[in-house]
Amino acid sequence: MTTHGGFEPVFCTIVPPHVLDRLAQHEDPALAGPARETLERDAYERTHRRLTTVIGAPTLTAPVVSDKPQRTIYDAKHKQELPGKKVRAEGSDPGKDATVNRAFAGLGATFELYLNAFNRHSIDGEGLPLNASVHYDVKYDNAFWNGEQMVFGDGDGELFLDFTIPVDVIGHELTHGVTQYTANLTYFGQSGALNESISDVFGSLIKQYTLGQTATEADWLIGAGLLAPRVSGVALRSMKAPGTAYDDDALGKDPQPATMDDFVKTGSDNGGVHINSGIPNHAFYLVADALGGHAWEKAGQIWYDVLTGGELKKDALFTDFATLTVAAAKTRFGDGGEELQAVSKAWEQVGVPTS
Amino acid sequence: MRIQVRRTGGFGGIQRRGEVDTSTRPDAHEWHALAERAVAAGHSAPSTGVPDGFHYEITVDGKTVHTADPRLTDDQRELISRVLKEGA
Repeated sequence: MTTHGGFEPVFCTIVPPHVLDRLAQHEDPALAGPARETLERDAYERTHRRLTTVIGAPTLTAPVVSDKPQRTIYDAKHKQELPGKKVRAEGSDPGKDATVNRAFAGLGATFELYLNAFNRHSIDGEGLPLNASVHYDVKYDNAFWNGEQMVFGDGDGELFLDFTIPVDVIGHELTHGVTQYTANLTYFGQSGALNESISDVFGSLIKQYTLGQTATEADWLIGAGLLAPRVSGVALRSMKAPGTAYDDDALGKDPQPATMDDFVKTGSDNGGVHINSGIPNHAFYLVADALGGHAWEKAGQIWYDVLTGGELKKDALFTDFATLTVAAAKTRFGDGGEELQAVSKAWEQVGVPTS
Repeated sequence: MRIQVRRTGGFGGIQRRGEVDTSTRPDAHEWHALAERAVAAGHSAPSTGVPDGFHYEITVDGKTVHTADPRLTDDQRELISRVLKEGA
């Protein structure tokens, strides 16, 4: 990489993907252009390169990965052993269990957004099979990512319904996997709240992408349809108006802040990861709202660039993340553009400094 | 014996508590045995756990231990479920 004339062939053969990713974001278009082109080439060319040029050096090339998801749904049958009994695999027809079918469809919707919007193949970027277990435990009021797969409870029916109902909940859990394979934000304090917020952001984008919604049309709710009819509330969180999703005798009131003025210091919930995520959630909403159109195209791309760019540290604070989004907006969409302005203004509005 | 359970975290981040005083219960002996086994398998400090997993604090006569999904012992799961149900 010492002479300018040799970029094309060099990129085509031996430059590792992570270096190309970095170069593609370089300020110098002479460096960024060819790297981006290389990254955008289709599977045929990757296959061809792999077979013809890198035999003997397999670690230097991207593996050939499918543009189709590889999904498997298991039924835990109300027990706690994971994964449970295999009930639906890729290529099989929908069965009678709506929960299984919803989980299957939700995994597909998540795969589609990451592939089509960000050219990411599954959660690890290398086609990792997507596994989920449904009907976990009895009346289980939760869904989680255990480091390897998604787990969904049926809800107790009184407060919570089936956790596979909202597609953004499915997207949220899978995005914990994406974060694990990329920035791997520590699940505590501000880095934990960023981890949570990223799952809400991409969970919401998956819903918006599935419904073909613009930022204006989206409800910006997390878990709409999850609360039982007797609960006073519309969802578990609101990115548009944090703190307003529910106010109920049994559940209490939505505790999310929208700005740093109301940041909650607590030892519970891993230092309030599901509480203070309201602040970066709201910043994302503000960016998307200011830019309009499909939120995954600009706001989502900026957030994705930061998540996967290699510079976001595991123990990042809100201000570290915010500063990187400003840099990413500049790199991706140019200095002085509306994107940069929207990002800077959004963080200012929620009280997070960006330098 | 006073047995308290506090559940935090989870996808919704909504806290739940329960408390059972076994002194007036006919099945106190059974509760005590279950609580002792659950506490013995607990940890002195909370762990980070898995994303969106529930965290539990089990307090028996003032002594608190921590545990988290999905790595509960059967005794812990049973105790937590009974305290949150009967002592809510």
